[in-house]
Amino acid sequence: MATRRFELAMSPHVGASQTTRKIMFDVVIALLPALAAATWFFGPRALLIVFLSAATAVAAEYLCLKFMKRPVSFALDGSAIVTGMLLAYNLPSGVPLWLPVLGTAFAIVVGKQAFGGLGHNIVNPALLGRAFLMASFPILMTAGWAAPEAWNSSADNTWGTSGIVAEEMSTIPMADAISGATPLNVLKQTFDLDASAVNARNEGNTAEAASLEERAEGIRSALSCKSTYMNLLVGRSGGCLGETSVILLLVGAIYLIIRGVLELRLPISYLGTVAVLAWVFGGSGWFNGDPLFHVLAGGVILGGIFMVSDMVTTPVTPKGRIIFGIGAGLLTMVIRRWGGYPEGCSYSILLMNLVTPLIDKLTLPKVFGEVKKNG
Amino acid sequence: MTLIKDLTKGIYRENPVFRLVLGMCPFLAVTTSVENALGMGAAATFVLICSNFLVSLFRNIIPSKVRIPCYIVIIATFVTLVDMVMNAYLPDLHRSLGIFIPLIVVNCIILGRAEGFANRHPVLNSVADAVGMGIGFTLAMVILASFRELLGNGTLLNINILGSAYQNQPLLIAILAPGAFILLSFILGFFNILEKRKGGRQ
Repeated sequence: MATRRFELAMSPHVGASQTTRKIMFDVVIALLPALAAATWFFGPRALLIVFLSAATAVAAEYLCLKFMKRPVSFALDGSAIVTGMLLAYNLPSGVPLWLPVLGTAFAIVVGKQAFGGLGHNIVNPALLGRAFLMASFPILMTAGWAAPEAWNSSADNTWGTSGIVAEEMSTIPMADAISGATPLNVLKQTFDLDASAVNARNEGNTAEAASLEERAEGIRSALSCKSTYMNLLVGRSGGCLGETSVILLLVGAIYLIIRGVLELRLPISYLGTVAVLAWVFGGSGWFNGDPLFHVLAGGVILGGIFMVSDMVTTPVTPKGRIIFGIGAGLLTMVIRRWGGYPEGCSYSILLMNLVTPLIDKLTLPKVFGEVKKNG
Repeated sequence: MTLIKDLTKGIYRENPVFRLVLGMCPFLAVTTSVENALGMGAAATFVLICSNFLVSLFRNIIPSKVRIPCYIVIIATFVTLVDMVMNAYLPDLHRSLGIFIPLIVVNCIILGRAEGFANRHPVLNSVADAVGMGIGFTLAMVILASFRELLGNGTLLNINILGSAYQNQPLLIAILAPGAFILLSFILGFFNILEKRKGGRQ
């Protein structure tokens, strides 16, 4: 082939070494420590679920691209694998194996390719897949928590799925009545207890109200003790596959920061808002919540590192990213405190994804030399 | 000849739902089961035929400035009729369709046909148009409702199709609101591909 004398290309003419493929595989690598934690705590089934999910994602992407007559090489750019893995990380370990397959297929076909593929999807496909599964199979999606204790019970049996250690458990009045399977489920119960206490007090039943309040307080103090924090940090608590071990998720985050993939504005504004609002209204009353517990429990670390920072569905402007993080944090805490679900991380990010174009528009920086128009 | 054309165009070529994207509110809301879809389709078709007939009959008498209120009065009359008859003879269906029976008054297919067709065409053509549009609307409702009922409940016309094992864990989202939107988009996409292949309107 004759050498071309003049290279013709659109601007920009200065290339960066970062490519979609490199970024996506960095994210996959960053997700691996959490996968190790999931496998350790929930057994090899967790590995299988994640693998099935990732494989389905790539297969679904390939078929979609084939159907739409677009280059099928896009299926291997790694973004499908990330979507599949993130969706699997959002499932409890006890789900039937067809569930991740169905959810990932939906996430890729409807959430991503129907909108035009990577870069054109309006919401995070993995979270859309999770919302789809939650709406379709609410029982399956919340029933599989009990598995971690069954697996590995020989190694360490001093913790329940709630993350509260046995000796703390014994200090709670009527502790056997705690049925919540995840730390946030248990927290939600304390809010229910508070509500029943208020009802009892209104009916003039002061003794019952006092005992209910005492119980709620007991559970809360057990959730806010050092051993519970430790369990949540290490991953010894019930939850979705990927959200168990905070430490290993942070290892992934550090890798991403070093590689320059993770932009810190989003995670910090998100987690910061969650922490502040947890203190404001995450407890029994006002300004007595436990920020540490709220940040460590549930999916906010997973969401804060890997989903809030999704490049496609979050604002591109620096100011916009901070607004996005604050908005998502606010929604997360509102759902946790007053919503029907114990955890609001995924829905808050989905909702903020929808207003991303608006945020981008509002925070568009002025072009140099531009003057603010009058009127 | 034009009579047949007026009759058939509503079924596919100008299908009110799939081609004109009208009547979305009842279309998305009551297609949770085939039974509801048939009931709604029949009610809307009846109102459509009657209103097209009357509007066409009076098209030279109604002053154009007040034509919309006149259409509404005519349509509302028949909707009230349907509402009462259904309440008396099909109370179960009436209950499950609920507010969407009175809302036929503001159904844009019916108002649209009155404004867009019946007020400038002879009576016979208007009735033919109404029959065609009514069938098209009912057909579209039944198509979406079949998917939703089958996926979301495992049944068709309350007959168990997919077995009780499926019914324990159905794809619940199909009979919820998001499922209606998602399935609608797939059906619309399918018809667009069909049209594209035919080389017609895109």
